[in-house]
Amino acid sequence: MGSVTAIFTAENRIHPAAEAILQEAIAQGWSDPTKLHYSSRRLAQLLSEAQESFSRSLQIPSETIHFLGEPTLGFHLGANGFATRREVYLPATSRQEVFAAISSRQTQSLPVDIQGGWVIPAGERADLLIIQTVNPETGAICPDSSHFQGDVFVDSTSDPLGKIPQNWSAALWDSVSWQGPRGLGIFALKDQARWTNPLPHSDHRVVPGGANPALVMASAIALEASITERTASLRKLQEFNTYIRSYITSEIGDVDIASPINGAPHLLSFSFLYVQAEQLVDDMEKRGFSIDSGSACISANIEASHVLAAMGRLTHGNIRLHLYPSTTLQEIDGLLNNLRDLVIDQRGSL
Amino acid sequence: MKVVNAIGKLCPMPIIDLAVAVRNSNSGEIIQLLSDDPATWADLQAWSRMVGHLSRQINPTTFEIEI
Repeated sequence: MGSVTAIFTAENRIHPAAEAILQEAIAQGWSDPTKLHYSSRRLAQLLSEAQESFSRSLQIPSETIHFLGEPTLGFHLGANGFATRREVYLPATSRQEVFAAISSRQTQSLPVDIQGGWVIPAGERADLLIIQTVNPETGAICPDSSHFQGDVFVDSTSDPLGKIPQNWSAALWDSVSWQGPRGLGIFALKDQARWTNPLPHSDHRVVPGGANPALVMASAIALEASITERTASLRKLQEFNTYIRSYITSEIGDVDIASPINGAPHLLSFSFLYVQAEQLVDDMEKRGFSIDSGSACISANIEASHVLAAMGRLTHGNIRLHLYPSTTLQEIDGLLNNLRDLVIDQRGSL
Repeated sequence: MKVVNAIGKLCPMPIIDLAVAVRNSNSGEIIQLLSDDPATWADLQAWSRMVGHLSRQINPTTFEIEI
């Protein structure tokens, strides 16, 4: 296996701006922030500053923010905390974690069109709507939900720049999505009175336990840096996105591009007809390019992407690319040229 | 009617086998595809849209394609 020189996967290494503070914070061996020792009070102050930083970056009130040591738990808190709701609406392209969290509830999985678009119903006051600001596979952006009358749980785990609607009730972010350290989620709850903790609990805390303070502080720094860079590089990412679309269509062909033109520019999903994705991913890794796939043809026990299937898109031969502000044109040219050669090789045996 | 038996094969092999059969068929012919891969129906619909053929699902493992 060759060394990876270009990363196009959803998981990247921690943002350089957060590396130093993470190491320093871990070395400090912080005390319990609820105690009265000097180091505890100092830690409580630093955590408060981090919370304010998250508040500014995510544009939500700081008092709504809760830190989760296990981000995936946030899907359960958001989907089932409004347990007295009448009906739960969500798009068919929602994350598997969300479907798993609501498996025992009466739900309306709403159909999506071939561009990943869907229609949000008006609902009633006692209903719950679960949305994604940005679909993590295709980059499709959630339609306007401001007319929905019930509670809205926002899954924003794939894009810190994804805009959450004004009528949000709960929201979830994952530190990994902004190159923060792994193992930290941000769960926000606008009105705790409308929510009942679905987990076993003995006090009024929204989340069980807590998060590692070192991760919280490092993640806040990573988020600030990531938002600044992403905002500055939106145009570049859009140009790269357009460039890749043009290349795979004209130079490779027989490709089904699942990502809508007006989607988030840093995400791109496309499927090559007559190509086995797993082999393609392995071969690209050997050539130094790390990529993801939504196909699952290597084992009958693993289903292909439910997102692609719901959109009516080709599920085999799928490639997912995640573009970063640091991604270069040279890396993209290398990626595309190698993809072309490998796809032609695989199709040669057809 | 030609029959393409792709039972036991995983994606993308059922669609590849089908494409080979289509290449050796004439316009108007109907091909029956047998496949128990769970991704086949989703892929067959996408393939039909991309290459311009009509397809339908007869039962969970049987599909018909009009060339």
